[in-house]
Amino acid sequence: MTLAAGLAVMAVVIGALGKNPLQAAGAVVDGSLGNSFGIGQTVQIWTILILAGLASAIPFSARLWNIGGQGQMYLGAMAAAGFGITLPASWPGAVLVPLILGASTAAGAGWGWLPAWIRNRYGASEIVTSLMLNFVAVLGAAYIIRDAWPQGFAQQTESVSDNARLPVLIDSLRADISIVLAVAAALGLWILMTRTRLGFAVRALGANRAAALLSGVSEGAVASAAFALGGAAAGLAGGVFVLGVHGALLNGFSAGLAFLGIAVALAARLNPLSVIPVAALFAILRVGSNNLQAGAGLSPATGDVLIAIFVIMLMVVGVIRFSYGELVDG
Amino acid sequence: MVSELVLITFFVTSLQLMVPILFASLGEILVERSGVLNVGIEGVMLIGAFTTALVGIESGSVGLALLAGFGSGLLCGVALSALYVRIGTDQVVTGLMFNILAIGLTSLLRDQLIGGQVGPILRGISVPGLSRVRFVGDVLAQQNALLWAGIALTPVVAVALYRTWWGLQVRAAGERPGALAASGYDVWRTRYAAVILGCGLSALGGTALVLSSSGGFVPNMVAGRGFIALGVVVLARWRPGIALLGAAVFGLAQSLQFLASQIDALAGVPRELWLAAPYVATIFVVVFSLQSRYPAAVGVPYKPGTASQH
Repeated sequence: MTLAAGLAVMAVVIGALGKNPLQAAGAVVDGSLGNSFGIGQTVQIWTILILAGLASAIPFSARLWNIGGQGQMYLGAMAAAGFGITLPASWPGAVLVPLILGASTAAGAGWGWLPAWIRNRYGASEIVTSLMLNFVAVLGAAYIIRDAWPQGFAQQTESVSDNARLPVLIDSLRADISIVLAVAAALGLWILMTRTRLGFAVRALGANRAAALLSGVSEGAVASAAFALGGAAAGLAGGVFVLGVHGALLNGFSAGLAFLGIAVALAARLNPLSVIPVAALFAILRVGSNNLQAGAGLSPATGDVLIAIFVIMLMVVGVIRFSYGELVDG
Repeated sequence: MVSELVLITFFVTSLQLMVPILFASLGEILVERSGVLNVGIEGVMLIGAFTTALVGIESGSVGLALLAGFGSGLLCGVALSALYVRIGTDQVVTGLMFNILAIGLTSLLRDQLIGGQVGPILRGISVPGLSRVRFVGDVLAQQNALLWAGIALTPVVAVALYRTWWGLQVRAAGERPGALAASGYDVWRTRYAAVILGCGLSALGGTALVLSSSGGFVPNMVAGRGFIALGVVVLARWRPGIALLGAAVFGLAQSLQFLASQIDALAGVPRELWLAAPYVATIFVVVFSLQSRYPAAVGVPYKPGTASQH
């Protein structure tokens, strides 16, 4: 029902741009699922969007605005590049990959925890701080790319060692194990949010702050945990970019996907399980949009525009609602 | 030591970079004073910048381009106030989605309509009397009308907020909307006006970026300046006069990289460190503006008939 309404809105928007919606839809599906190259790309973006969606969904559940997903992703990518390049290339993948992805996750969690710490310590709004940390992280990556491990004058670092690359699952799609990790992360966080005390505390804080505090929830601890968990997911996404997608750290690698993760989290109503299908839908739109130029004469940015309008419509009709005094979907 | 020419260039760019932050902050002060947090300010500035470039290129007229930039901001304000105020969607996430929309829409339309074309820009105007003063005159001679407009607008916004009946209503809507409603005023209507006007002003920040540079539009050219303005507003404690100073500081912070590149002793410092300065400064600003407190009702949608809200 919601999906149908969303598709209708998108059709109207494309019609307003003077193009045939059916033709555009055909181009999107063809570009994202029409051949093995497209499917492979869609799976990659799906993976990243699941993780980026989780990065927002967990803190948002506590009504804490983690807008620093991009920076956390960059920290994860920087850690992956650093370890992937410097650790001995002779070590087996079974050691290198978990070690490096662990470092990425930890780096993202640390960067994510920072705005929560500032909030707890100084009472400063996490919105501005988490946003600003994005720019700092992006510039840090630019420094690493230019100075620490440069690849000539290219906009990327040197490549990580072969053994550090993520093992490929399906050859024809070039799909690696990261999609399994992302789905597992979503499942794990869903269990955490619905079946544990911490998850309950996070959701209680978001649903009714006063009542949660009265019942003994420590706001500072919950904020730190929620931000660190979100940052961990984003950091893992950064690691996947470096070890899986590109094999190196690239300037501008995240291509707006971290911010799209916020849209994923919202459309999934902050439920970690729903993040999986929503991320798939948005990945299809994102990858398919690259085909719009050729297929319907529309810019690739159309996908992001459609997603943003779709999510705003969902908020307008009240499908996505940040209610006061009512538990968020879990 | 650095030459006088380097210093002049440093202050010229600082003042130029101050203007977008100043307009954005003045607009955001109006919005937040009325009880609305506009995280979508970055998108409003982008749309303002794009519209300015588009109209400038198509018409060749700076005046029309400027008006169009302001008008596009007002339209953004209409759309955003409908969401923030009338429908009462969550302001933070609505603003974020609006930013994604604005980034996508402006790059989409740029590809379709203007590409890399450039339009007319504002020339520097010399100020009678000041232009012959050494150094100061040299710096100011290269500033365009928008700097002076921004400086002139600062006391106007302050007077409107603190010395007019309308300003009192706006501040009441931001602090105690319930009390404003109880006195027979319409909270929504007050907030509509503040959000629409504020977005118009913020969009002029995007206009300034275009008309003071090449006259063209580059995707995502606002580069976080809207978000920096959110920090400046906190630093300024929602007062226009302090926001002017804050904007000046951030103008300087944004041109540090140029200055550092001209000083031999600093050659070893990575340029990214200087580029990060305005963003790091924003974090410190919000951390150490401890006494500054958001207007009480910021971020909380007002529902008529729920006077218990404040």
